[in-house]
Amino acid sequence: MRFIADLHVHSRYSRATSKDMSPETIGKWAQLKGITVMGTGDFTHAGWLKELEEKFEPAENGLFRLKKECQDGDIPGSCKADVYFILSSEISCIYSKGGKTRKIHSVILVPDFESAARLNLALSRIGNLNADGRPILGLDAKDLLKITLDSAPEAVYIPAHAWTPHFSVFGAASGFDSLEECYEELAPNIHAIETGLSSDPPMNWRLSALDRITLVSNSDAHSAAKIGREANIFDTRISFASMMSAIRTKTGFLGTIEFFPEEGKYHYDGHRDCGVSLSPQETIHRNYLCPVCGKKLTVGVMHRVEKLADRGCGFKPQGSPSFQSVIPLQEIIAEGLKVGANTKKVNELYFSLLEKLGNEFTILIDAPLDDVERAGSPLVREAISRMRAGNVHIAPGYDGEYGKVRIFQEVERREIKGQMRLL
Amino acid sequence: MRKAMPLLFDGLNEFQRKAAAFDGSLLTVAGPGTGKTLTIAHRLAYLIHQNVPPEEILAVTFTNRAAREMRVRAGDVIGSDASKIFIGTFHLLGLKIIKDNRTDDFLVYSREEQVKLLKSLMNDSTRKAQRAAEQISRMKNSLGNEDCEMQEAYESYEAALRQRNAFDFDDLIKIPIGMLQSRQTARKYRDRFKHIIVDEYQDINPVQYQLLKCLAGNSGNVCVVGDADQAIYGFRGADIENFLNFEKDFPGATRITLTENYRSTGAIVNAADGLIKHNERRVDKKLVPLKEKGVPIAILSVPDEYAEGAAIIRKIEERMGGTSHYQMVRNGSGRGDSERSFRFSDFAVIFRTHAQSKVLEEVFAASGIPYQMIGRRSSAQVEEIEETLAYLQSLIHPHETIGSGRIDALESKLLTAADLFDPRADAVTLMTLHMAKGLEFPIVFITGCEDGLLPCTIMKEGVDIEEERRLLYVGMTRAKDELHLIYARSRFLYGQRLAPSPSPFIGEIPEEFISNITVHDRAKKKNEPDRQLGLF
Repeated sequence: MRFIADLHVHSRYSRATSKDMSPETIGKWAQLKGITVMGTGDFTHAGWLKELEEKFEPAENGLFRLKKECQDGDIPGSCKADVYFILSSEISCIYSKGGKTRKIHSVILVPDFESAARLNLALSRIGNLNADGRPILGLDAKDLLKITLDSAPEAVYIPAHAWTPHFSVFGAASGFDSLEECYEELAPNIHAIETGLSSDPPMNWRLSALDRITLVSNSDAHSAAKIGREANIFDTRISFASMMSAIRTKTGFLGTIEFFPEEGKYHYDGHRDCGVSLSPQETIHRNYLCPVCGKKLTVGVMHRVEKLADRGCGFKPQGSPSFQSVIPLQEIIAEGLKVGANTKKVNELYFSLLEKLGNEFTILIDAPLDDVERAGSPLVREAISRMRAGNVHIAPGYDGEYGKVRIFQEVERREIKGQMRLL
Repeated sequence: MRKAMPLLFDGLNEFQRKAAAFDGSLLTVAGPGTGKTLTIAHRLAYLIHQNVPPEEILAVTFTNRAAREMRVRAGDVIGSDASKIFIGTFHLLGLKIIKDNRTDDFLVYSREEQVKLLKSLMNDSTRKAQRAAEQISRMKNSLGNEDCEMQEAYESYEAALRQRNAFDFDDLIKIPIGMLQSRQTARKYRDRFKHIIVDEYQDINPVQYQLLKCLAGNSGNVCVVGDADQAIYGFRGADIENFLNFEKDFPGATRITLTENYRSTGAIVNAADGLIKHNERRVDKKLVPLKEKGVPIAILSVPDEYAEGAAIIRKIEERMGGTSHYQMVRNGSGRGDSERSFRFSDFAVIFRTHAQSKVLEEVFAASGIPYQMIGRRSSAQVEEIEETLAYLQSLIHPHETIGSGRIDALESKLLTAADLFDPRADAVTLMTLHMAKGLEFPIVFITGCEDGLLPCTIMKEGVDIEEERRLLYVGMTRAKDELHLIYARSRFLYGQRLAPSPSPFIGEIPEEFISNITVHDRAKKKNEPDRQLGLF
């Protein structure tokens, strides 16, 4: 069965996360987005784990679902669907190896509450799990992998947003040049990496070392509306074992739904405070120094990929799953209406589209354009059409600043509106 | 193969060489970070090089930790012969002497067993029994009897111990002293241990001193190493006078002073030196920093104890280059202001009393930064004693001789058992000044630098101000690169809110080595943003 999964989000117990990230809210937004399997996030946090235990019941497929009384019913009928959960958590390892400070985030998926408890017990001897839903441990990422596999042999460990500069396995600031350098003899236990918002599969295909790796994508959402901004498409039974097997073998892993990598916060190099955004070539040309403040530039994802790549652009390894780049629907509407994405106007049209056409992924990926035009407007139709064709302009993100999406030139926007009037 | 002498002393400075190769009784004054253990290890190597049988060397330390370290360092320099040297604490030495001179089996009581025995004898509460145990310990260490009523309990306790054929921890020093009153026995040990080295001599207490005197006799081969400025155990009977009088005490003794400091920046060394100069009971010396001047010592004034914790967290995050994306967004960027790479264990937060630890721990727990509180449940002393006793117990019962292979095996086992923390975990260390002795960290924060806490006069009268100054000196000299002294303008302690003045010790640090920073009260901060706050 073909279905979509987002395996990395955060609860309200995580820092800088929306207070309404409750099981109910996550379940509701999974339906609005069109996601069948959600990661719970934060199972390492005792408060969150307890809440999950109270609000979940085992589903017949071995996953979990919200008890009836815990489901938020305020959802357009067109979006209503079953949502299942997998226990997931993200852990931040901060340590020193080879004379460098390393900061590596990892996503861990476990099959059941017992496994989560066993892992939590082992990790509670390392550090404080309850200060943050995404705990910080002074632990070598390799040791975290080992502890994970010792505590829960069925668990899957995935290096999170693998290219982001400050907190990832390949990050420019505190990462490594290879999985082997980080995980040594345990590297064969790494079956997948999260590409993160700022990279997409074609960028990762440039490293032959990643040919055996499954490229997964998750939202890492800190608020409900961002759930599913990246996600995975499976074609397996809906069960922990089947999904993990697909991640390990790529069989049944159809591919990912991706951000345009330019929209990610760390695609390019630069300095946010100085308003400086540079391509990798420009950075090298400037000797990695900011032309405004003279300090070292934050080196982004594209730069790191180029540095570690052993292939040119455009190579596709055999048997690689496909992917689909999307722009969140609210952003598309905002671009069409030329207003901010968090405005009431956008929100109204968003829910109106969902009511008429179904969940967001259906609209972005599958809905016939005529239907989109009928439910929305010619501008929305044209925007989605261009997005599907990859025909959009994005000023790349850098040093924590999101990229700026532009689908229409001003004159085009007028033209399309004009045509509408003519019709 | 034995190394040639010049090679043997490779890497030692002139004074370290002199101390290592000196023949005769010697007082080595070794300031913090001057390579004391290295020098002792080379002295052991020198003696062996001079064809002294390793069995004839006795090296005494005050803690198991120090003994372990010395064993490792001696092994590095000397090789397998190092294991034939007796390296251990006074208590281990005492135990050995008792065992040598008794044929029967005996028990060594832990503090817990001691309290249990006293409880049954006194027919009273555990708390009372604990207090009695402490008083008896003081009495056995010739620290005077504060309470005449204790005499009876003392006598019945001693009788009960003898009846059970048991010794307590203090007996391990006292009993051997009695045994060594026999001339024959004393001669036996003087022949056995022709060379004696005592580490941390400033910490020696009167009974330990007596034991040392018994063993040394008139031999001219007692080498003591230490630093009067780091004597911080006066409260448990250590007597700095022994250190100051060594040269009179052991006729013909010479003094060598190690002054070159390899550990800390110039600013830290000079600031600490400037402070300790104010003590009168000391051996005059001036440390010479070998490292660059470095950054000045930060004297930070904060509104209260929570702001104190927050300032430390902020600094750690800054040095680590942010510990979360959130921090990066808040602080503008993830770029640390230094190119150096740090780990959490590079940071230590040190304070005068356990009472200060509660809020610090609260702030750290909320921050998510991994931390480790050392010695939370019991004082350093009790922990050390428990560790030694567990170790001794396991040595005694199998009735085996003390071979070093066995010691290693047992100690490594003991270490893992004692270590509740996963050894893979890396964390910021939180501890008292007393616990910090002998350790070093790139970045050190000393909290509660306030009058009443440093010197700690808030709970007790008749505090030895010089010992308090030495405590701060020990704390400051733990820092390799960066030192922060923090005082709060308001602090809740022992059930009341205080408005303390900065520690008078801060005023004794030469101004040229410090930089003052103030974090203003919250209300004030809104109206007049402080440039200095931004700097911190």
